[in-house]
Amino acid sequence: MQQEVYGYWLPLNVSAHGEVIDQLINVLHVFMLALFVGWGVFFIHCLIRYRSGANPTATYDPIKAKLSKYVEIFVVVFEAFLLVGLSMPVWSQFKADLPAESEAVEIHVMAEQFAWNVHYPGADGVFGRKAPQFVTPENLLGLDPDDTNGKDDFNSINNLHVPVNRPILIRLTSKDVIHSFKVPVLRLTQDAIPGQEIPFWFEATKTGGFDIACAQLCGLGHYRMRGQLNIQTQADFEAWLAEQVEEEDDGGFAF
Amino acid sequence: MIKQTIRVLGALGLGLALVSDVVAGGGIAGTVTFTDGPQKRRTLKLAADPVCASKHTEAVKSEALLVGEGNAMQNVFVYVSKGLEGKTFDVPAEPAVLDQQGCLYAPRVMGVMAGQKIKILNNDGTLHNVHPKPKINKEFNLAMPKFMKVKEVSLDKPEVMIPVKCDVHPWMSGHIGVLTHPYHSVTGSVGTYNLADLPAGSYTLTAWHEVFGSKSQDVTVSDGGSVTADFAFALADLKKK
Amino acid sequence: MSAEHDHHSEAHGHHEQSFVQKYVFSVDHKVIGIQYTISALFFLLFGFCLMMMMRWQLAYPGEALPLIGTWFSEANMPGGVMVPEFYNQLGAMHGTIMVFMGVVPLAVGGFGNYVLPLQIGAPDMAFPKLNMASFWVFLPGGVIMLASFFVEGGAAQSGWTSYAPLANIAPAGQTWWLVGMIFLITSSLLGSINFIVTTVQLRAEGLSYFRLPFFVWAQFVTSFLLLLAFPPLEAAGILQLMDRVAGTSFFLPAGLVITGQPLEVAGGGSPLLWQHLFWFLAHPEVYVLILPAMGIVSEIVANNTRRPLWGYRTLVYSVIFLGFMSFIVWAHHMFMTGMGTAMSTFFQATTMIISIPSVIILTALALSFHGGSIRFNTPMLFALTFIPMFAIGGLTGLPLGLTAADLHLHDTYYVIGHFHYVVAPGTVFALLAGIYYWFPKVTGRKMSEGLGKIHFWLSLIGMNVVFMPMFSIGMAGVSRRLYDQTQYAYGAQVQELTIIGSYGAWLLGVAQIFFIINLIKSIRGGEKVESDNPWQATTLEWATPTPPPHGNFTEVPKVYRDPYEYSVPGAKSDFTPQFSEEG
Repeated sequence: MQQEVYGYWLPLNVSAHGEVIDQLINVLHVFMLALFVGWGVFFIHCLIRYRSGANPTATYDPIKAKLSKYVEIFVVVFEAFLLVGLSMPVWSQFKADLPAESEAVEIHVMAEQFAWNVHYPGADGVFGRKAPQFVTPENLLGLDPDDTNGKDDFNSINNLHVPVNRPILIRLTSKDVIHSFKVPVLRLTQDAIPGQEIPFWFEATKTGGFDIACAQLCGLGHYRMRGQLNIQTQADFEAWLAEQVEEEDDGGFAF
Repeated sequence: MIKQTIRVLGALGLGLALVSDVVAGGGIAGTVTFTDGPQKRRTLKLAADPVCASKHTEAVKSEALLVGEGNAMQNVFVYVSKGLEGKTFDVPAEPAVLDQQGCLYAPRVMGVMAGQKIKILNNDGTLHNVHPKPKINKEFNLAMPKFMKVKEVSLDKPEVMIPVKCDVHPWMSGHIGVLTHPYHSVTGSVGTYNLADLPAGSYTLTAWHEVFGSKSQDVTVSDGGSVTADFAFALADLKKK
Repeated sequence: MSAEHDHHSEAHGHHEQSFVQKYVFSVDHKVIGIQYTISALFFLLFGFCLMMMMRWQLAYPGEALPLIGTWFSEANMPGGVMVPEFYNQLGAMHGTIMVFMGVVPLAVGGFGNYVLPLQIGAPDMAFPKLNMASFWVFLPGGVIMLASFFVEGGAAQSGWTSYAPLANIAPAGQTWWLVGMIFLITSSLLGSINFIVTTVQLRAEGLSYFRLPFFVWAQFVTSFLLLLAFPPLEAAGILQLMDRVAGTSFFLPAGLVITGQPLEVAGGGSPLLWQHLFWFLAHPEVYVLILPAMGIVSEIVANNTRRPLWGYRTLVYSVIFLGFMSFIVWAHHMFMTGMGTAMSTFFQATTMIISIPSVIILTALALSFHGGSIRFNTPMLFALTFIPMFAIGGLTGLPLGLTAADLHLHDTYYVIGHFHYVVAPGTVFALLAGIYYWFPKVTGRKMSEGLGKIHFWLSLIGMNVVFMPMFSIGMAGVSRRLYDQTQYAYGAQVQELTIIGSYGAWLLGVAQIFFIINLIKSIRGGEKVESDNPWQATTLEWATPTPPPHGNFTEVPKVYRDPYEYSVPGAKSDFTPQFSEEG
C-alpha cells in the first residue's frame, strides 16, 4: 500500500506517541468545527431575522439563554477532558518517562548555525567528552582529543540514522543560538537551548527517510537548516554503524 | 607626426624607467615541506547537503593538511611580514576570486591587498553563506542563495589571517590574508612559492599554515639577486602551538 | 502666550493657542488622539507593505520582485531578488511595527485618548502634559525603528520576539530596535497611568463604575495590563542592550561557539530568561490588542442592534477576569523549551481557563443580536465580522494550548493563522469599525458608505484568503519564518496554498486603497452630519458639540442611567442617552 507522506492535513505518522496526538488534534477540530458552525448558524439566523427591515422595533429585555449556559458548561467539561484525558498523559509520557539508557539507543545532537551535528558513541558505546574550546572545522563536535572514550566516536552532519521500533534517546544541545528540532512525521518539536542539554525520546514505527527542520528562527540560513531522518531496520542500522566505525577507527591522528 | 613620435618615445622612456625600477630588486623563492609526510585525512560529510554530495563522484577528504610528493606542503601562506613599512603599493584593479565549488572553497587559502576587490562565486546551486570572522576588519555575513552567482566584497585593513566559514556547510573553511603590499604567495601542490620583484632590503618572511601556525626567517634581498628561503613544518609544531 | 492674545480668550476661559501648541505640542486629548491615530495608521500601512513584499518571496522564492524590486539596495535585493537577511528583517519589523507601533497606539493611544474622556464626561485627561509626553516619546520610538532599516547590516532580524542569543549577535539594527522599544514602552507606561487616573477620578456625576460604557471598561483593564506587564520587557530590553553594547551576558551562557569561533563573554546568563521576560509582557499584550477591540465592537453592536448589550455585567466581569488571567499564561509560548510536567500542567490549565471568559464574551455579543433591529452600516459590518473572526482565532488557540497537540503545531503556520485571525480580521476590523463610527464626531462629516462597503467586502475576502490556508499549511508541518518553504518536501507539497495566500494579501492591499481614498475624501467632502448624535447613540461622547471644542462639554454633563438604554419600553424614541434626564 502506497501511503502519501505529506499532504494538506497531518502528515504520515511514524512515531509511537503520535497516534494519540493525531486523535487529539482530529477530535479537537471536529469539536471546534461543530461549535463554530452551531454558533454561526445562530448568529446568521439573528442577522437575517432581526434586520431592521424585518424587525423595526428591537426588544429591550434580554432573551433567557439557557442553551448558551449549557453550551458553555459543555465547553468547560470538554476542555477539561482534553486536558486531563488526552494532553497530560501524552506529555508526561513524553517528558517524565524517559527510557532507561540500557534499552534505548542514545544519540547526541548538537545544533549550530545552520546544521545538525549528530554524535554517535562508536564501538565502545561511551560518548567522549565535548567542550567548546576544542571546536575546529575538522572537529565540529569539539571532542576532547585526550579523552579515550572519544577516540572511536564519530559524527554525521544533517543525517540522523536510527533503528526502527526501538526507543531513541536524544540529548539535544546547541553551540550558538536557539534552534528547534522538528520532525513533522514524528509529531515532535524540541528546542535546542545553548547552555542546556535537553533529553527527549521517540520510537519510530516505520522505516524511511524524512525531513528534519529547524523550527526556531536561527539566522539567515534558518530555512536551509534541513536534516534527514533515516529510520532503518536494526540490521541496516548496525551495518551503517559498522561502516562508520571502520572509517574512523585507525587509532591515529587525523586531519 | 613629430608630436606623435615624441609621444611614443616618451612612453617608451617612461616604460623603460618603470621596468628598470622593478628590475632593481630581487626575488625570494622556496619550498615548504612537511617533514612527517602525508597524514590520514578525515572524510568530509558532504551527504549533509545532497546538492554538495552530487558534485563529487568519490568521497571528499579534508583539505586541512595537504602533503604531496617529496613532502611538499600545500596551502601555506608565505608573505613579507616586516621590512616594507612605510611603502605604499597600488591596489590591483583585478579582483581576487574566491570560488565555492562543490561546497569547498577554491582556493582554500588566499592573499589580497587591503581594499582589493574579492569576487565570490557560487555556482553550486545551493545556499552558501560567506561569513569571515576577522578581528580587525569589519565582520560580515552574506547569504548567497542559489540565485546569487557573484558577489563582490573587500577587506580594508591588513589582517593575517581571517578565517572564512560557510555556516550551512560547517566543513567549509577558508582563510584570507590581507596585506598592504603585493608580496605574498600560497604554496601549490609542489609546495613552492615565489615572491618576485621585491625591492632590495632586509625582510622578515613568514609562512603560515592553518593547523601548524607561523614560522619566520630573515632574508636580505639585493638588486637583481635571488634568495632561497625554505620552510619546514612537522607534527611536533602542533604541540608547540 | 503673549499678552496681546489675552483679550481673545474664549468663552470658557481658554486662551487662543498658536499653531504649534494647538496641533503639534498639544495637551488636548483629542488632538493627541488624532496624532496617535494618524501616525499609527501610517505605521500600519508601512508594516503591511513589508508583509506584501514578503508574500512575493514566499509565493515565488528566488524570483525578482516585479516593478519595485529594483528600488532596493544591492545588499537587500540584488537584481530585485530578496536575500534571506532582508526577508528576516522584513519579518521582524512587520511584527514589531504592527503590534507596538500600529495596533496598540491606534487602539489605546488613538481611540483611548479621543473617546475615553468624552465617554466619561471629562474635560480632558487627568494629566494632559503627561499625555503629550506619551505621544512625543512614542513618535521618536517609531522613527528610530524605521531608521534602523538604513544602518549597516539592516534592521533587526531576529523576529519580533528578539530571542537571545540570536538577537545578541545580530547586526547593529538590533541595538536600534532595543532603543526604539524602550521609547515605545515608556510611552505606553505614561499613557496607561493617565488612563487609570482619568477613569478613577474624572467620571461625570452619576457615572458609577457599572454605568461605564463597555469601551471604557476595556480601556481601563487594558491600562492595568500595560502598566504591569510592560516594565519587565523594558527591563529586559535594557539588559539585552547592555549585553550588546556593554559586554554583559545576562542572556548568554558560557561556551558559545559562533561560526567556529568561541564567543568571548563572561557567560552565566540564560537565553530562557529573555523568553520569560518577553512573554510576561507579550501575553498580556495579546489582550492589550484584543480588549479595546472588544470595547469598540460592543459600542457599535449596541448602537446598531438598537438594544442593550446582553449581559453587561457578565461582560465586565469577564473582561476583568481575562485581564487577570492574562498574567499567568505566558509560558504556553515556551512549551517546547524543555519544560517539565509541573510547569506545563499549570500553564496548560490556565490557558484552558482563559478561553472561558472569551467564550462568554463572544456568546454575550452574539446573544445581543437576538431581538435587535439591526442596521447594517459600514461600522456595523466591520464590528459584527469581528465576532466570527475572533471566534476562529480563539478556537484555533485551543490545540496550541494543549501541549500534546502543540508538539506538532508549535511554531508552524498554524500559529501564524491563529494569532492573525485574532489580530487582523479581529482587532484591525474592530479598529476600522471604530474609525467609521467615530469619524462623524471628529470631523462633523460621515465617511462614504459606498466606498466603505467595497473596503469591507474586499478586506473580508482578502483576510480569509491569506489566513485560512495557513491552518492547512501548519498542519502539514511547515515552520514559520522560512524564507523558502519549498526546501522541505512537505512545504513544497502545500506551496500552492501559500501562493493563493499571497494573492489574498495583495487583494487586501487593494482594498485598503478604497479606505485611504474614503478617509481623505470624507475629511473635506463627506456628507455633513445634521446633529451632534448622528448614530442616535446613548453614550456621553455624543453630548458634545461636533467636533468637540477644547474642554469638550459646553455644560457639565450629568449621567442618569445605564450606558445602552436602547428601545426602552414606553420611551419617546428608540434611544435614551445617559445624559438625558427624562427617560
